[in-house]
Amino acid sequence: MKKSIKSLMFIASLMLLVILVTACGQGDEDELVVYSSRNERFVQPLLDKFSEETGITVRTLHEADALQLKEETGNVQADIFISNDIGALEYLRMEDLLASFDGEGVETIDAPYRADDNSWIAISARSRGFIYNKDMITEEEMPKTMEALMDAEFEGQFAITRGGNGGMIGNVSALRNEWGDERTAEWVEAIKDNAGGIYSGHGDIRQAVGAGEHPFGLVNNYYYHQQLEEPNNNNVGFIYPDQGEGDMGVIANAAGVGLVNGAPNEEDAKAFIEWLLLPENQLEFVGESLEIPINADLEPPYEHAVRFADLKVQQMPLKDLGKYFEDTKELIEQSGLDLELR
Amino acid sequence: MSEDDQNYHQLNNDNNAKAGEDTSLAVLRFLRRKWMDSWHGNPPGKVLFLLGLLTGLIMSIPIIYVIWQSLFAGVDRWRRLLDDRIPQLLLNTFSLTVAVTLCAVLIGVTLSWIVVRTDIPGRKIWQWLLALPLVIPPYVGAMTYIIVLGPSGWVQNAWREVSWLVNMFGEYPIDIYSFWGVFFVLTMFTYPYVFLIASASLRKMNRNFEEIARSQGMNTRQIFWKVNLPFLRPAIGAGAILIALYVLSDFGVIAMMRYVTFTAAIYFQRASFDTASASILSLVLMLLTIVILWVEVKTRRKSKYYQTANTFKEPDILSLGKWKIPALIYVCVIFFVSVVLPIIVLVYWSAIGIGRGALDARFFGFAWNSLRVSLFASLLCMVLSMPIIYLKSRYPSVISSSIDKLSYAGYALPGVIVALGMIFVFNNHLPALYNTFYMVAIALVIRFLPQAMQAGEASLSLVSPRIDEAARSLGHPPWKVMIKVILPSILPGVLAGGALVFVSSIKELPATLMLRPPGFDTLAVRVYVEANESFYYLAAPAALIIILISIIPLRYLLKKY
Amino acid sequence: MSYIQLDHVTKYYNRAATPAVDQLTLEISEGEIITLLGPSGCGKTTTLRMLAGFEKPTGGSIRIGDEIVCDDRRSLPSEKRGIGMVFQDYALFPFLTIEKNIMFGLNKWKLRDKKKRVREVLELVGLVGFGTRLPNELSGGQQQRVALARALAPNPKVILMDEPFSNLDAGLREKMRLDVTNILRKANATAIIVTHDQKDAFSVSDRVVVMNEGIIQQIASPKEIYRCPVNCFVAQFVGKTNLVSGRLCPDLKHVETHFGRVCVPQQTNKELENVVVSIRPEGCRLAEYGRYSGIVERATYSGEYQELHVRLQSGDHSNQPMVIYAPVEQEIEIGRAVTFNITPELVALVN
Repeated sequence: MKKSIKSLMFIASLMLLVILVTACGQGDEDELVVYSSRNERFVQPLLDKFSEETGITVRTLHEADALQLKEETGNVQADIFISNDIGALEYLRMEDLLASFDGEGVETIDAPYRADDNSWIAISARSRGFIYNKDMITEEEMPKTMEALMDAEFEGQFAITRGGNGGMIGNVSALRNEWGDERTAEWVEAIKDNAGGIYSGHGDIRQAVGAGEHPFGLVNNYYYHQQLEEPNNNNVGFIYPDQGEGDMGVIANAAGVGLVNGAPNEEDAKAFIEWLLLPENQLEFVGESLEIPINADLEPPYEHAVRFADLKVQQMPLKDLGKYFEDTKELIEQSGLDLELR
Repeated sequence: MSEDDQNYHQLNNDNNAKAGEDTSLAVLRFLRRKWMDSWHGNPPGKVLFLLGLLTGLIMSIPIIYVIWQSLFAGVDRWRRLLDDRIPQLLLNTFSLTVAVTLCAVLIGVTLSWIVVRTDIPGRKIWQWLLALPLVIPPYVGAMTYIIVLGPSGWVQNAWREVSWLVNMFGEYPIDIYSFWGVFFVLTMFTYPYVFLIASASLRKMNRNFEEIARSQGMNTRQIFWKVNLPFLRPAIGAGAILIALYVLSDFGVIAMMRYVTFTAAIYFQRASFDTASASILSLVLMLLTIVILWVEVKTRRKSKYYQTANTFKEPDILSLGKWKIPALIYVCVIFFVSVVLPIIVLVYWSAIGIGRGALDARFFGFAWNSLRVSLFASLLCMVLSMPIIYLKSRYPSVISSSIDKLSYAGYALPGVIVALGMIFVFNNHLPALYNTFYMVAIALVIRFLPQAMQAGEASLSLVSPRIDEAARSLGHPPWKVMIKVILPSILPGVLAGGALVFVSSIKELPATLMLRPPGFDTLAVRVYVEANESFYYLAAPAALIIILISIIPLRYLLKKY
Repeated sequence: MSYIQLDHVTKYYNRAATPAVDQLTLEISEGEIITLLGPSGCGKTTTLRMLAGFEKPTGGSIRIGDEIVCDDRRSLPSEKRGIGMVFQDYALFPFLTIEKNIMFGLNKWKLRDKKKRVREVLELVGLVGFGTRLPNELSGGQQQRVALARALAPNPKVILMDEPFSNLDAGLREKMRLDVTNILRKANATAIIVTHDQKDAFSVSDRVVVMNEGIIQQIASPKEIYRCPVNCFVAQFVGKTNLVSGRLCPDLKHVETHFGRVCVPQQTNKELENVVVSIRPEGCRLAEYGRYSGIVERATYSGEYQELHVRLQSGDHSNQPMVIYAPVEQEIEIGRAVTFNITPELVALVN
């Protein structure tokens, strides 16, 4: 008898405890909810710093997708969307899912790197390029343009990501802008056939190239810097393609932040963007990503960085990526490159 | 008295309802009569019934929603998927399921035979050592084998060092990210289901039959094929179906080893927000699962062997003779591959992780999330299972058994489907709970309630219905009887069920991954995320904790089989 | 007016073609102890469970006290009927002490009243001092009395007992019959007891209701049931008997059978020609010059008496042998002729 009552009491008190604890964690009005599609390792320290300095609690969903915001249109959850892809941010703006912003510090970022209504702001930039294993291929042997990947001579020589990878989508969108859809589709088909390996993400490619499984791979520039920091397998180099006379210039993309339309906690969301635009925090946003700060006054926080000013960059305004966001995936898939690994 | 007479006559009259009588009243009476009939004239109390019905509905609505969505996904999408994706996925899924099931059955049966029926040294210890892979979630196993056999893994690094290997076999030949990798890991971490079931039946096997066979001149091998195997067939069938269902529903191993079956495809379609396609694939996977369940029901009905209990004799132990060493090696290899090596890998990386400060506040935050969501889910399961099992056992009828069956929907089907349905339902109809801790907890309840139900049912079957009636005759309504009398009687069973749910919830990956609200990662989710990013030193401590917690119900599991 | 009334109560179980209880009508007065007696499947337990509210009748109505607890429109749940139930396996709550078990039905009472009542009923059943024990620490007979005490504690309108003695061994059983009757009488309780054992029924009840196939066969005092069974079923079910067919003599006091004329105790008013009489074995007394004679075919010694199968001397040899009880001290030889007389009090005309 006593035993059963005791265990009943035990259960009841546990139940109470759990409900209390969960009640504390939930529905707190002054929490900032951040959706992020950017690598967790770069974003989390930034958000921790923000919490520490402002006392505002941040709850983050990493590996979020822009389309989740669309799905939640009727039931807005997020206050802030941090994206690795400007195309996604501009797409959300066009879909009326971002709200305009007019806080302090906006002018530190050049106008081409902001939405017209500042509903999104890019902070750090990157470019596409080829990471190569110096033991396997020399700089001279390496292709120098995106187009060159279609050549038969590089068949089986390089690795690419699956079609659904954000970097790959941005790359293809830029090519559509440059070449038109038909030629771009040919390019996608050709690199799919030529690729010696198709990986889920760029991290796999840099490791595979570093380990000598492929001579080179199509990645974002900062993966090269990441591989340089590895204790072994770090004898790698990097090619910024299309730098020659008459070439289109490197394909760039940027990571940035957007203010969600109808954010439950708009006040803190705006405070977050203003905080983020402080130069110190812009650098924190770049963080360990080894990308390049867009704010020209800021020094890249690591060695060997190539500034955007020193590169020939493709002419397309970044926000034009938004136009291609929806149907680039379709083009990729129809060209035979699967969005997901099978 | 006279009034009673009237009532009685009225009863006779209302079948041939008079023309003047209100027809709706007649319909109502008819329904009431049907209602009473369906409960064998003994309907449960309203509170109890509504509680049970509500639970049954909660358990099944997400899945019904997925079916509904898939039916309205559009002909084009259906055609495209049927032409292109589905055949490939079917092939992938089917070949993996068959291969893993066959191989796991083979390993499970041979191991159980060796351990139960031969004089292998340390057979008592082997009996539970070989069940240990059960406590290692297969996705953790997948991680350890990516570390060992994967690109830049231990074996590959060692391979490069040894020149004669390179000379003889060329480049490192193992690609863990392949069918064979997935097959290997799933087999190694699922064979214990067959092992346990087959061991139990081998132990129960009556020696009399073997002695008869021997007296008719059969040797050991013939006896195995002609006598033992037929007796083992139900056990093998049950184990095979468990494994097949597991392979169909597994997400973690398949996603981490980059093989694509239905679950992974559903997850990735959802991740790119093509939910219509995801629901179509879910429907196909559901059909596949139902086929296997149907096979199970069919075979179970056919193969009921009864062994006469009163003349039971312990089976004798065969001498291995010259086979002793090979058998011992076989058992040791399986044990090493499925338990020792993974644990070594995890301990190694955990040690590195702890050195690098992996056990920081964030880590404990994840552990706390795991703990509270699992605790909450197991408490909910304990509470919600009560009305259902009580209805089923005390008020047997079509209605209560339907509620019971509905409750199994989420258990039988893969977690990705449950999660998909939950997203539909909560985002569209329950925005207040969407993206909260509670959504994850409810998903866990949907997935694991039947575990609590089974444990509770086993206890309740030992409590005489007379006990309930005694309590009712002493003036307590049914719901109070349940709390004051039934609950204390079956509390140990309910608690055991709660513990099972707790452990399953701690291990659960796909639904938690798909439903976690912002800032609510659990240990299981972290293992998956960090391992995918190759941050093994962060993944290993979390995996080790999950394994330690999983040891809790092992005793219960061993007893069950 | 009667205290408890069952009026044309009928119960069909699902899809059964024949009713488990068929148009059962029964009235019970306050303070009466009634036994429902019959073979298994006769509907006696169903009747009890319908009274208790565990089963709902398909038709008919039940009244307990002033309240109609069940008719075709509504049915009071058993917790509101004011009944006390004692089960075959006692159904004591194993996790509660004896005291708590007895208090279980007193949930709305004040604590002091509860304690007082527990003491009272424990005194009544003679188990003072056992209050703090758990049920499994008591013997079968003690558990039985606790179950009764628990049922009596809330002062129910009626006590229902389902096969109360069947779990007890022979010696204890006899004692418990006496104890239970005494307790029920002392508590002045109205009780309905279900049993398949005629000895249980005869020793505890005021009236016995014999049932078969859902139909009441006879309601009468134990003595009357035994001595004057109304039909073959009752005669055979309640003790051993010899059923003999014959023709009623015009004086309506004798029956002409194949072995001679048998006297019935009272003049019947039935105008039948062909009748069946029940002759109890103990109604046949061996005598040196008895009226009837036959040859002993078999003798079975059963302790209290010897059971003889006597082949009667009559023209028709297809008849069953007569069963007769003889005193144990009497020497019987198989194959010898014996003569006996029949006591009219143990002869009854049956339908």
